[in-house]
Amino acid sequence: MSQPKEIFVKTDRCMGCRSCINACAVEHSVSKSLFGAIAENPRPKSRLYVEWVSPDNKVPLVCRHCEDAPCMYACISGAIRRDADGVVRTDTDKCIGCWTCVMVCPYGVIGRHLEEHKAVRCDRCPDRDVPACVNACPTGALVYQTVPAYSGAVRQHASRELLKAEGG
Amino acid sequence: MNQQQSQYVIVGGSAAGMAAAHAIREKDPRGKITVLSAEPDAPYFRPLIPFLVAGKKTPAEMAMTGCGPYTGKNIVIQTRARVASVDTTACCVVMEDGTRHGYKKILFATGSRPYVPPDIEGTDAEGVFALRTLVDAREMAARRERTTHAVMLGGGLLNLKAAFALLEKGVRVTLVVYSPEVLSQLMEPEDATLIRRALDKAGLSIMTGVAATGIIADASGVTAVALDNGDTLACQMVCIGKGVRPNVEFLAGSDVAVDGGIVADRYTGASLPDTYTAGDVAVTYEPVTGAPIMTALWTNAVEMGRCAGLNMAGVKTVYTGTFGILNATQVADEPFVSMGVVHTTGKDCEIYQKATSSTFRKLVFDANGTRLIGAVLVGDITNAGLYRYVIREKMDVARFKRPLIDHTLHYGHFMR
Amino acid sequence: MAFSDKILEKSIDPTVHQMLDRAEQLGIETVWDRYEKMLPECAFGELGVCCRNCNMGPCRISPFEDEGPQRGICGATADIIVARNLIRMIAGGAAAHSDHGRDLAHTLLLTAEGKSGGYAIKDEAKLAALAAEYGIATEGRGKDAIALELAKAVYAEFGKQEGFLQFTRRAPQKRVDQWQKMGIDPRGIDREIVEIMHRTHIGVDNDPVNLILQGLKASIADGWGGSMVATELSDVLFGTPEPVRSEANLGVLKEDHVNIVAHGHEPVLSEMILAAAGDPGLVAKAEAAGAKGINVVGMCCTGNEIIMRHGIPLAGNFMQQELAIITGAVDAMIVDVQCIMPALGDLCECFHTKFISTSYKAKFPGAVHMQFNEENALAIAKEIVGAAVENYGHRVPEKVFIPKEKTACMVGFSAEAIIKALGGTLDPLLDAIKSGAIKGIAGVVGCNNPKIKHDEGHVELVRELIRNDVLVVNTGCNAIATAKVGLMLPEAAEEAGDGLKGVCQALGIPPVLHMGSCVDISRILSVCAAVANALGVDISDLPVAGAAPEWMSEKAVSIGAYVVSSGIFTVLGTVPPVLGSAVVTEVLTKAANDVVGAAFAVETDPVQGARLMIAHMDKKRQALGI
Repeated sequence: MSQPKEIFVKTDRCMGCRSCINACAVEHSVSKSLFGAIAENPRPKSRLYVEWVSPDNKVPLVCRHCEDAPCMYACISGAIRRDADGVVRTDTDKCIGCWTCVMVCPYGVIGRHLEEHKAVRCDRCPDRDVPACVNACPTGALVYQTVPAYSGAVRQHASRELLKAEGG
Repeated sequence: MNQQQSQYVIVGGSAAGMAAAHAIREKDPRGKITVLSAEPDAPYFRPLIPFLVAGKKTPAEMAMTGCGPYTGKNIVIQTRARVASVDTTACCVVMEDGTRHGYKKILFATGSRPYVPPDIEGTDAEGVFALRTLVDAREMAARRERTTHAVMLGGGLLNLKAAFALLEKGVRVTLVVYSPEVLSQLMEPEDATLIRRALDKAGLSIMTGVAATGIIADASGVTAVALDNGDTLACQMVCIGKGVRPNVEFLAGSDVAVDGGIVADRYTGASLPDTYTAGDVAVTYEPVTGAPIMTALWTNAVEMGRCAGLNMAGVKTVYTGTFGILNATQVADEPFVSMGVVHTTGKDCEIYQKATSSTFRKLVFDANGTRLIGAVLVGDITNAGLYRYVIREKMDVARFKRPLIDHTLHYGHFMR
Repeated sequence: MAFSDKILEKSIDPTVHQMLDRAEQLGIETVWDRYEKMLPECAFGELGVCCRNCNMGPCRISPFEDEGPQRGICGATADIIVARNLIRMIAGGAAAHSDHGRDLAHTLLLTAEGKSGGYAIKDEAKLAALAAEYGIATEGRGKDAIALELAKAVYAEFGKQEGFLQFTRRAPQKRVDQWQKMGIDPRGIDREIVEIMHRTHIGVDNDPVNLILQGLKASIADGWGGSMVATELSDVLFGTPEPVRSEANLGVLKEDHVNIVAHGHEPVLSEMILAAAGDPGLVAKAEAAGAKGINVVGMCCTGNEIIMRHGIPLAGNFMQQELAIITGAVDAMIVDVQCIMPALGDLCECFHTKFISTSYKAKFPGAVHMQFNEENALAIAKEIVGAAVENYGHRVPEKVFIPKEKTACMVGFSAEAIIKALGGTLDPLLDAIKSGAIKGIAGVVGCNNPKIKHDEGHVELVRELIRNDVLVVNTGCNAIATAKVGLMLPEAAEEAGDGLKGVCQALGIPPVLHMGSCVDISRILSVCAAVANALGVDISDLPVAGAAPEWMSEKAVSIGAYVVSSGIFTVLGTVPPVLGSAVVTEVLTKAANDVVGAAFAVETDPVQGARLMIAHMDKKRQALGI
């Protein structure tokens, strides 16, 4: 299998515009269009988050599909599995909304879809070549790359600016 | 003598056993793994059995094999295979029928069984359950058809789940709780206010500070429960949820150290070489205090079982211990999380509490306020995983104590 | 009582701490909670690089040159987009102030025609002075005839196509010459605002400097036009403020009275509410309902208008509007226009408070609308006050919590009142400046903004200034902040440097002089013009400086622009949305010196901000050789 790609976050590039959040929600809507998505009931829910840390740091947070994936082992209904592409996905049919995954995720990136009573998390947009959030980011704060390609790029940039690589 | 032989023998086919089996398979693609389960059903997600009572899931939908992380190949699972004893000298287990099964490495993951208080008379009557296995759930579901009123003895999570399964099916349910409030193992009575309100609203009848003294039955099975306040509750079903006891009897006479449960070292090893233990039956330690602890939680059992599996496969892995209390769930549309030290009455610790009309949180810090040692979140459990992480890693909270207390903590606070 | 750090760090005001604690107990959301939920705020907006002026976009320019778009779809660069957005903010602010001024002209017109229901001309001397400025004959004419002609002349300023605005000629000749040289001497007030909207339309003005010049021009039409009209005509109608003592902060609400909070901006409404609240019939009704009387208090600039003319207590500034309602003791919150949070509607639902909107221009969810008009002003005001009295009975005693804190203050220093305090001439002030007893004059103004600890920016900056012998004149939310901490008392001279202290003690005035509402910044301009003219120099030569420590509104952007355009160095305490353009930033902070003899500085630390102002004054003093 070829080296899988990951979503990396360059926090110093984040503008806090939440374009990624909108794109994620739209991608996980029924209509897959912004104007359709905002009219859907229940509203589609984004699976990533943009948080804020004083004094003015914008921090996008997205599931890292951890190697040891505590959510997957903690799940009491067998709803979370790692697919062949390395992505940890939640089977919403099997999810019973017990929130055990929420309780064990150290990154806080598993959300609760209250209307549907299901846990929601990044599925890396299986229908797309590039995840919707990465595609929507106007400043390249989200990067979809393989680990070697990304760390190579980081090394190249290292002399110019400090990149805080989060992910993997 | 006809003896089967496996590289790895796992006694017990539930969370810890299955997690161990699949962890072994990740590291050792070839070694023969045999899981011996006393139950007639293939391994299943035990926490789902209330769904069978409620008629919302079939046993097939609860099966573990092939689901979630349980996708390892070539794992032999023997059901109705109850181990009677272990011969640690000969490195084999002796089955109830006398057959033997040799091992190179063995895991004791025999779990626990419900505790039925001996001071309650008549618990052997038909229609009295302690919901633990799929077999119990099937019987309970069958009895449900003839039940208009069920009495649940004990106010723990399992009984609440069973109660809701019955409520959903139109059965009237009364919860008889000896403690001053439901969920007394998971939080202090006043912390459960919101949950109690939700339970009441959902239509559950709850009697607190009352104990059952006996169960009255006739040919049709249970007909009533007698209480210590002199009342008698007519009912057709009783469900006992009074905690569990570890299944250690099969080790009687062996050299494996048992102290309440099977004593585990920091690498999930039992007291003899090549013997391991995990899950409800194991005595492990509490990460905050280091005190010995036994828990009966699926999540803990999987984690420890996985750790044991890695050690059995030769990947030395330390088990970081477990919280006695580590629960997340939702009852009556009220989500809550309870973890670490949450019973604080009379303890020297720093406590922050915040109650609004729809949420409650209690954060327990050590006496000097630098480490989080417990948390209860009710109504809003956002980022509960971070709280668990902070407790478990014994993080110095100075840098993010405010967002921690305000429940605005997010991973960004840990960065840089 | 101890409050959490979370609460303590929101404000320096103890009433805010108490009310936020109360809000938390009641599970009520306030502006601070909403601010926190908004974080992180979008950096495209923070930098001013998003454009929605046409529907090819929305566009936004990436601040990182190696990633993301560097031009809008039309080709606009960050410089163009930032400049366009900035001057649209000026247009919004200038429009708000000027429409306020227009309403006063309207009221004066109706009053002169005998058509207004309850207004009269209170300051005939000012009427005559203004008439003289406008070249209107006064000899042997009645006040109504003069007022009618003045009202029509002022009215015409708004729609004027050519020529200049009369009040701009109060500025020193050098200033006017410079404005004309740069092409920013404004014509009609409305025209300059309209021209901003035209120029910022897709495909019109795409030169950032040219755009900014138009912004300055419109802002001058605000400061020396619309705002000044509002101030001067308010004085004609309601009286020119004179020093008066009163009290400020939420403690002015009274548990045993019908409490009416008058919130918003224009005195046209609040003057009548006051009159109605004194109506014996309504007072009797209030007493019959068990209240001891009717207590009208002010909020925000409406508060400034009525405290300085009538000594009516001030309940608080912008960030306290929700808190007043959370006291549970407000029977009616009566609003007209500007700075009224739409959050008030939902909030009033949690209490018995009646939220009454009165302007057809400003309607709010959850408000009862009682349309106010000048023709039937007193009658409508009585209806509104009557509704408040009626609502008193719905008060829920368990929900009432009024903080005790209120602070005495001396307010009402109009330009005329200052000269009067000086003994009828500017000379004592000029002498004090020349001698160095007073280092300079600072105009400190502006809003509240949750980005800054409430009132801390205002109070710390002002304290640092007076400690360094800078006389402070202030308006708006800054004035309210300093009133609440006791800086508007003659005794506060103790906090001032020795020079300023001596001057204040000799004159019996506070070191911080309350000049009114946000349109009354025009009073500060008038004082500066008068001082400059007396010294025969331009305003930009004076040891004066401006500051807006907690600004947030578009009005504040217009104010900043006209203060700088008038030649006054101005320090902003919150970062304006312009940093996305190096060119615009450069123009505002440096090149503006060449255009109007002053520029902006941004300094979020209030003490440092004050020091920048002081350094500027020192420089100007040196240049003047004093």
